[in-house]
Amino acid sequence: MKHSFIALIEDKCTSCMLCVRECPAWCINLDSHTVEVTEEGARRPKKVNVLDSFDIDYSLCMYCGVCIDVCPFDALAWDEHRALTSTNREDMILSIADLRPSGSS
Amino acid sequence: MNRVFTWQQVAPDQWRNKISELIDSGFFYFDFLTGVDRENIDGQADCEVVAHLAKPDLSDSRIIFTQVKSELASIADLAPASSWYERECAEMYGITFTGGDTSPLLRHEGLGRPPLRKSAVLAARVLTPWPGGAEPEIREDGRKVGNVSRRRQRPPGVPENWLSP
Ligand code: SF4
Ligand code: SF4
Repeated sequence: MKHSFIALIEDKCTSCMLCVRECPAWCINLDSHTVEVTEEGARRPKKVNVLDSFDIDYSLCMYCGVCIDVCPFDALAWDEHRALTSTNREDMILSIADLRPSGSS
Repeated sequence: MNRVFTWQQVAPDQWRNKISELIDSGFFYFDFLTGVDRENIDGQADCEVVAHLAKPDLSDSRIIFTQVKSELASIADLAPASSWYERECAEMYGITFTGGDTSPLLRHEGLGRPPLRKSAVLAARVLTPWPGGAEPEIREDGRKVGNVSRRRQRPPGVPENWLSP
């Protein structure tokens, strides 16, 4: 496995913020909201986080892998995408759709 | 090949003796020297200086360290390869290696705290909002979800009051 990209497996992410807080380069930003789900047979509705946005700024990321290590839900993983290039900084910020693991889109 | 690493602490006044003894007993491959900021060890020392010497076939390694306040005798005459590392260590940790080469490597003089000391404030960390400070647990209407009280208020590794001038 090449260590050339960090992929987000969206379905596994619980918006717990651990990766955002541990990233030494401060390059992950996420936003989420909560919805109430009522499961059959449950007395009270359950609160569930829903991920609205998840961005990694690859102009700052130093590929240290701390985020992958700290994620308790294995929602982040090394991936084989190529390293990115761009002529402007905005293009280096990748969001959920661009962060999918290779072979999954 | 099995590599053996042995750590040993020496008193600062034994630093040169120890290095010279090791070189004489076959550990003459000088690998590196660096500093570690330990912030006020017993109110005496602030930093550790660590050096790695090995036998030339790398079968046996010694990692020697000592605790210093701000000065240590240079070993550049015993192991010339250490000179570069001592200059780097001087710039990054503010340690003076007496008797060594004191010319600067990268930094201009008067740039403030040596950058690898924990007390050095990185201006970018003060000016940039920390993304971890966002509070997804607190909703727009003020409702709290999740365990808000356990939420970490500061970026990891950043001392208290560090971000306030
Ligand atoms: S690899 Fe390191 S720098 Fe990059 S997003 Fe993860 S924690 Fe941050
Ligand atoms: S640590 Fe994992 S689950 Fe938590 S927000 Fe980051 S990617 Fe999502």
